[in-house]
Amino acid sequence: MKRLWWAQIKAVVRLEMRKTFFARRGLWIYAIAALPVILFVAYAIATSTQQHRRATVVSQSERRLTYQDLQTVKPGMPSQEVIALLGKPPIRFHWTDRQPASADQNPENETMVEVQREQYHYSDGQNDLFVELADDKVESINLGEGSNPRQDSIVFAGVFQFFFLRLAIFFGCLGIFMNLFRGEILDRSLHFYFLAPVRREVVMAGKFLAGLLATCTIFVTSEVLQTIAFLWHFPASARVVYLYHNHGLEHAAIYLGVTLLACIGYGAFFLVAGLLFRNPILPAAAILIWESINPFLPGILKQFSVIYYLKSLCPVDIPSAPGTPPVLSLLISNSDPVSAPVAVLGIFGVTLLALYASSLQVRRMQINYTTE
Amino acid sequence: MSDRILFEDVSKFYGEILGVNRVNLSIPPGITSLVGPNGSGKTTLMNLMTGLVRPTRGRVEILGYQTDDSENLFKILGYSTQFDAFPKGLTGFQFVYSYLRLAGRDRESAEQLAWRVIERVNLVDTAQRNIAGYSKGMRQRIRLAQALAHDPKVLVLDEPLNGLDPLARSEMIALFRATAAQGCYVIISSHILHEVDVISDQVVLLSNGYVVAEGQISTVRGEIQEHPTQILIRCNHPRELAAKMLENELTIEVAIHKDERGLLLKTRDADRFYLALNDMALNGVDIESIAPADDDVLSVYEYLIGNEEAVR
Repeated sequence: MKRLWWAQIKAVVRLEMRKTFFARRGLWIYAIAALPVILFVAYAIATSTQQHRRATVVSQSERRLTYQDLQTVKPGMPSQEVIALLGKPPIRFHWTDRQPASADQNPENETMVEVQREQYHYSDGQNDLFVELADDKVESINLGEGSNPRQDSIVFAGVFQFFFLRLAIFFGCLGIFMNLFRGEILDRSLHFYFLAPVRREVVMAGKFLAGLLATCTIFVTSEVLQTIAFLWHFPASARVVYLYHNHGLEHAAIYLGVTLLACIGYGAFFLVAGLLFRNPILPAAAILIWESINPFLPGILKQFSVIYYLKSLCPVDIPSAPGTPPVLSLLISNSDPVSAPVAVLGIFGVTLLALYASSLQVRRMQINYTTE
Repeated sequence: MSDRILFEDVSKFYGEILGVNRVNLSIPPGITSLVGPNGSGKTTLMNLMTGLVRPTRGRVEILGYQTDDSENLFKILGYSTQFDAFPKGLTGFQFVYSYLRLAGRDRESAEQLAWRVIERVNLVDTAQRNIAGYSKGMRQRIRLAQALAHDPKVLVLDEPLNGLDPLARSEMIALFRATAAQGCYVIISSHILHEVDVISDQVVLLSNGYVVAEGQISTVRGEIQEHPTQILIRCNHPRELAAKMLENELTIEVAIHKDERGLLLKTRDADRFYLALNDMALNGVDIESIAPADDDVLSVYEYLIGNEEAVR
């Protein structure tokens, strides 16, 4: 019997794949999955351009500088001292500025004086130092730190948690899983499955697997491409250090795992929602609100949510900026995380619960297209 | 295990709208037609039979199978619905083939069965074309192919002759007869009464969700004893015969046939009337032939629910 069910599930998956992957009404799902990839590719291109400019600065420098060298310049230093420390600036701008002789002077009878201004640009290959001088003395320093995988991994975590997980995968699963049954009711073709000698639960399982295959393929591919785009512009040595010595590879694997679990969890939620509701907007809004208010819910209610477990699995914590209101901080950080095994079991538990509800609903389902 | 299709006190309401009410049926093998105007409950009965809708009250059983046991029920039942929609992007062949794969058949046997049934419904030439490009008649036939593909014992066909040209109609009717001759249960719905009249072994007449009569057409007719039977008498001198007939106490109405080569008579007691006609023929009255003129389903239907609804 199990062999027959498996053969039937495969037959359902084969029929559904065409619809889930190539449906015209699902094209927007590819677009939202591609958005973070485009973001990271654009960031990589911008960073590469900066890197190229730094390399030019370094090649024009008198000597090879380190980050510590760049930090030695202090405000008030004469230009000669700066040059003595860092060498002749590879890039130098100078201009004359006019400004009031003193700040508290009456504007009506103010006298303007000329100020000789300069800007020196140094680089150690990774970071930029911009030194502003006025009348041969250092007025301000801007040490622009270049990107490094470790720092950028926080940006990656932010994009993953706040866009990819909560919006892209959420709405992607909504689009695919809610249409598994609802779409066929609207097309008036669901009876095709219900008139075959196959248990309705088997049809449901086949449809769920097809949806899972589609969402996992789309979003895992997106996640892999994001990781490649995120790491692509770093020098090979920085990549190796990040991947093999700073848990980069481990984090990438965890992100893929979280993506898969998100597809499973949200998929099951939207499958049951598609069976229970005629209008997908209402349950989608309800689930979105439920997931968003999760940090403010009591502990017991938190457990009936997908994001609660997914957040606990995310490998990089996003620090709240100083001064962030406590309510917003709650949204950013996970104040009450659970251990990885509990989180994985939790998602599977929530999924099984949703699939059980779906199986009950699909058994009760009647075909009456005219009332839809 | 029961050898009948049973409806026991079945009612189906769609909210406050009546689908069918208090239906009790026991359908034997052969061709059974569900006849009634639109909205009389034919499709609801078929959907109840196939588990697509569940009864609000009562019980439906198909040769011993419960209608919610889809896994086993559809091994013996094929249903060609009236829903004119198909899974998107499939060719005619893929539609039938996918159904068979869904039923658990392996690739080879599914392919064989699919081609065999496509040949039966005469769609071989167009089987590899997308269904979206099919004519209404072709879509009707491919649905029929899907219903027949696994050689079901019970074949339920909702308006199966809709959209078919005369040649295809006669082919399909022959197919239904052949299927029924193999001991199958063929349930056909139609509102085109003369169509099912010639092919049905039994009829179930429906009106506004109620079964108003059921059984063989002649039996159904016989159940309505109080209603006059119409008889066509062919003869060379209809006017003379009409005068004689009016003298007979069993005759309640006489009309000359429009071709002037016979009479249409109405009587309340057909059996006694036939005996009286025999006597008249023996006494030299010229009669060519005698035939019941209203022993078809249309007439029965008219008697039962009134002429207006029958022709709607």
